[in-house]
Amino acid sequence: MLGEHNFGVVLMAEGLAKELKRALFGWFYPVHYNLERWAYALQRVSGIAVTAYFLAHIVETGNVVGGMGVWNVPSGDFAEAIWTATFHFLDNPLFDTGLIVIGFMLAYHSINGIRLTLAEFGFLQGKPSRPDFPYEPKSFSKAQRAIFWISVLFAVATAIYALNVFFGV
Amino acid sequence: MLLHYATGLGILVAGGVHLATVFLTGPYLQNLAFGSVLAVYKNLILAATLELLLLFVDYHALNGIRVILIEFHQGAGWERGVSWILAVAGILLLVYGTRTILIANALA
Repeated sequence: MLGEHNFGVVLMAEGLAKELKRALFGWFYPVHYNLERWAYALQRVSGIAVTAYFLAHIVETGNVVGGMGVWNVPSGDFAEAIWTATFHFLDNPLFDTGLIVIGFMLAYHSINGIRLTLAEFGFLQGKPSRPDFPYEPKSFSKAQRAIFWISVLFAVATAIYALNVFFGV
Repeated sequence: MLLHYATGLGILVAGGVHLATVFLTGPYLQNLAFGSVLAVYKNLILAATLELLLLFVDYHALNGIRVILIEFHQGAGWERGVSWILAVAGILLLVYGTRTILIANALA
């Protein structure tokens, strides 16, 4: 009975590992697929990255009032000491570089998100037509391609701006 | 999913205001000094914008993760579990972030 149970757990773990591998490849390895698939992969990666940043940012900004233990209004001096220590801890090239990457991701996610919102509500869709070689997806219209490339350009511009802010090139 | 798109558009506006206050109103490091940060929380309009931004990003980010997780594996139990865990996580984040805004606004 116990043996059968263990066997089931092992099978489930194997299934999950296989599923995870398939999902990660399916989502994040768009090589040999069309541009729309690249846009999708980057939207996912940037979404996950910005979510991770959001969690850290909520914790970090919580230190403005003195950190996680503070649930009543503390003294201004206490809050200032905690915030200043946090500020100095975060003010280094490693975190600045991270922010440049987050800036890139955020800019891409915003503009590509506008494209996805427009598409969701039926704008900028290609007209249905006979499928001909090389079977380009009609849904990913010229206008949508343009917005995708604008989002990449905007992301690069944001990264360059952030590079200038943090490292003053 | 309508809320996902709506909060996304809301983030464009509230996030724009947030980034502008940090990067466009003066030198970046100076804007992150304690006094400048506190001044933002004490400005009612900016504090309300931060609260809205918190609400929008909280929903948008955690719903995004939810979509990824229920696309990763299909099943009624899995979907319910993922949704509940992320809903609770979202509420905890919202409470913690709102605490920061309220206390910073009340700080002497």
